Amino acid sequence: MIFTSFNFLIFFPLVIIIYFILPERWRWKFLLISSGYFYINIKPIYAILLLLVILTTYIFTRLIDGTDSPGRKKTFLVIDIILTLLPLFFFKYYNFVNDATFNLLETAHLRWPLPEISWLLPIGISYYTFMALGYSIDVYNEEIPAEKNFGIVALFLSFFPLVLSGPIERAPNMLPQFKGKLIFNYYKLVKGLQWILWGYFMKLVVANRVGMYVNAIFNNINEHNGKSLFVATLLYPIQVYADLGGYSLIAIGCAKVMGIDVMQNFNRPFFATSMSDFWRRWHISLISWLTDYVYMPLAFNFRRFKIWGIVIALMITFILSGLWHGANLTFIVWGTMQGIFLSIEALTNKKKKAFVRKYNLLQKGWYLFTCSVFTYLLFAFSEIFGGASESVTAGFLTIKKIFTDFRGDVWYENPSMIIITSISILILFVVEFKAEYYKGQFSFFGNRSVAVRFLSYAFLIIMILLIGVLDGGQFIYFQF
Amino acid sequence: MSKELIIEKLTRVFREVFNNDQITLSNEMTAQDVGSWDSLSHMIMIEKVENTFGLKFKLREINKLKNVGVLIDLIENKTTC
Amino acid sequence: MINKIKNNIYVLVLIKLALLFAIVFLVDFSVGHLLRYLYFSQQSGNLYRTTYSLEKTKSNLLIFGSSTANHEYSPKIFENRLHISSYNTGRDGTSIFYQYAILKGVLKRYSPKMIVLNFDLDEFKKNPASYDRISTLLPYYKNHPEIRSIINMKSSEERIKLCSRIYPFNSMLFTILVGNTEFNKERRKDFQGFVPLKKVFDRELDTGYYPEEALDVNKIRIYKSFIWDCIHSNVKLYIVCSPFYHELKNTPNSVILGEKIAHENNIRFFNFLNDTSLTNHPSYFADMNHLNYEGAEVFSNKLIDTLMTNEEDDQP
Repeated sequence: MIFTSFNFLIFFPLVIIIYFILPERWRWKFLLISSGYFYINIKPIYAILLLLVILTTYIFTRLIDGTDSPGRKKTFLVIDIILTLLPLFFFKYYNFVNDATFNLLETAHLRWPLPEISWLLPIGISYYTFMALGYSIDVYNEEIPAEKNFGIVALFLSFFPLVLSGPIERAPNMLPQFKGKLIFNYYKLVKGLQWILWGYFMKLVVANRVGMYVNAIFNNINEHNGKSLFVATLLYPIQVYADLGGYSLIAIGCAKVMGIDVMQNFNRPFFATSMSDFWRRWHISLISWLTDYVYMPLAFNFRRFKIWGIVIALMITFILSGLWHGANLTFIVWGTMQGIFLSIEALTNKKKKAFVRKYNLLQKGWYLFTCSVFTYLLFAFSEIFGGASESVTAGFLTIKKIFTDFRGDVWYENPSMIIITSISILILFVVEFKAEYYKGQFSFFGNRSVAVRFLSYAFLIIMILLIGVLDGGQFIYFQF
Repeated sequence: MSKELIIEKLTRVFREVFNNDQITLSNEMTAQDVGSWDSLSHMIMIEKVENTFGLKFKLREINKLKNVGVLIDLIENKTTC
Repeated sequence: MINKIKNNIYVLVLIKLALLFAIVFLVDFSVGHLLRYLYFSQQSGNLYRTTYSLEKTKSNLLIFGSSTANHEYSPKIFENRLHISSYNTGRDGTSIFYQYAILKGVLKRYSPKMIVLNFDLDEFKKNPASYDRISTLLPYYKNHPEIRSIINMKSSEERIKLCSRIYPFNSMLFTILVGNTEFNKERRKDFQGFVPLKKVFDRELDTGYYPEEALDVNKIRIYKSFIWDCIHSNVKLYIVCSPFYHELKNTPNSVILGEKIAHENNIRFFNFLNDTSLTNHPSYFADMNHLNYEGAEVFSNKLIDTLMTNEEDDQP
């Protein structure tokens, strides 16, 4: 059951009603049952994997917590990490590694084919695996004690709003909430419902709309000219943001309605003025996870190389981040690009800061605007390898075409498509621009007038019905 | 080493690493309070502190640094024993 | 006391939600009705042609099919040579589901003399998008009970979703608005339903095998129903596979099955997929799948030649 399915629109209100009718002490148990149902509903067999990860995490966190010997703690943690990563590795990276080794051996005239696995990736595995790992490491670091109640650990890792696509939450934030009082909070309910609505708008209207255009172009790179590819490249980050950002908002909103606070996952990324600023605003839960559990230990170990140690740590972290997104060479290129961008920024940081301060540039609108645009362009180009193109060759072909193929005009299906797509992007940007630079001024959702608030809600719902892409029925007639 | 001396030396490290001569340390100070204190400059600062005070941190100790006060206590512990 | 406050909050939430739903319902109802009015007052374009095919045409020869049908069969030529009124009901991106729905709407009103169904080379291919695209029929759910069973194949929840009056017109806003203007009549002009393509395909002819595709049993079932309904209504049905700009070394499995089913029901099935008199002329094609206006003319004439010789063969 995904958030945009019709079933979820029935499932979620039902869960909420029962949740608040039940006495407080039963609520977390009910959430656990609902989460189980939610996940099993997708594909029962994959629920076994989730259960295995939960069991591993529960047993080993208890073992780590139960011993005083640092050596044994370490051994337990290592076994736990290996066991937790095993399903993820098997399902996500087995074929990738298998193909790579096969090709490598073949160049040495060795043939040793292992069977290919053609199973689908169990949905959410990349997310709950990271949540489980984070929890185990937190217990090892004595940030939190190991949870003794198995049900709470199971709920933390299978919590239905987060299990499919995050935010990748942390045990120190979630466990106390599940164990504490899950009480009705009017303010949170309203906030949650507002976020859900805005999340659906982002996903169904903006992401799907933009996605239709972007896919039509990137699925047929050979047939399109450089201008169309350039437009698609510019639009792709908006699609990804509206997609994952919208999805995250629905997730965070669902949790909020039930009174549970979940971390923010995106913070208006397109207003970032540098790449390092961008990565503090984009997919925050993943990046902060990687910062804490991968980058920090690496940077610590390389600290005697000073700034170059940080560069190495950055490169490794972002290549790993790339691989987390997908088992494909393109993502390694993508991760390397991010690492290079951030390293260049780290190396030039001092000089840039001095320059900015000297001319007081942070107060100047044109400077912030230029920086945002430049950051956006850098990210958009890196995203050619971050999911837009299917292969590295296709990615390079895209770039080559953008700079050399000036034939013809920008492709579009019909004027209606341009109008609808532009309106949806415009609404998103206006709302975010207001929130970024004119905080606290006129607000639709937070307006003191009930009429304004309700009309805004109604407007969004009507917009979703009017121009949302509700299923695959939208037909792009692309001739080639 | 006395606490005053530690704070004095640490202030110099902070001002240099974070490129800001106005920084005055307090126990409750966190990364949020210093503009350029991010995950990149953090490790540079740690390395500089190690060099200045001639000590070595463990990763676990770094993980537990919640604010400047904790760092000062940690340095004090490490330099006295 | 505390319980009372709590209950009051729950009641407040319910009242506010009810109020919101009332507003949404009201706006949805009025905007939906406006859209419905504008949709059916269109005078040109894709959507108008669907309404015309389903509710208005009285032609004795009808062309059915997807984009291949729409861009490749010129009713004018059929009229001139066969002396029979003709209309092309083909629509881009549709499948046998749409075509069968149009047929039902037509047969409810009258029986045409002749129907040509264009058969795509991936006609029976399993494709979830085919179900999603049934959405093109949603505006007709209300007034056409005969096509509801087809619309319900889209999903079991269609009936609930149709509580929204806007839903049937989702994503159509600007198309509907433009469809009401004079400007739209000159844009991608149609000739009795037929929309000629102007592009010319400038490629070498490739050769290769067509992949074995997983077939959709629903599509096969509806295809059979299409044939049976024509037989029952005494409509002369021809099924035609139009040329494909690719030298195929095998016959796609959809085509093999489509032809078999046609023959079992004594329906003529003409396969022009690899017709070299057409595929040897890249200038006849707009892209791999579609003939352009020039190709459409040649092909329409060629098909009529074939139909006429067959008529003669059929004479005792």
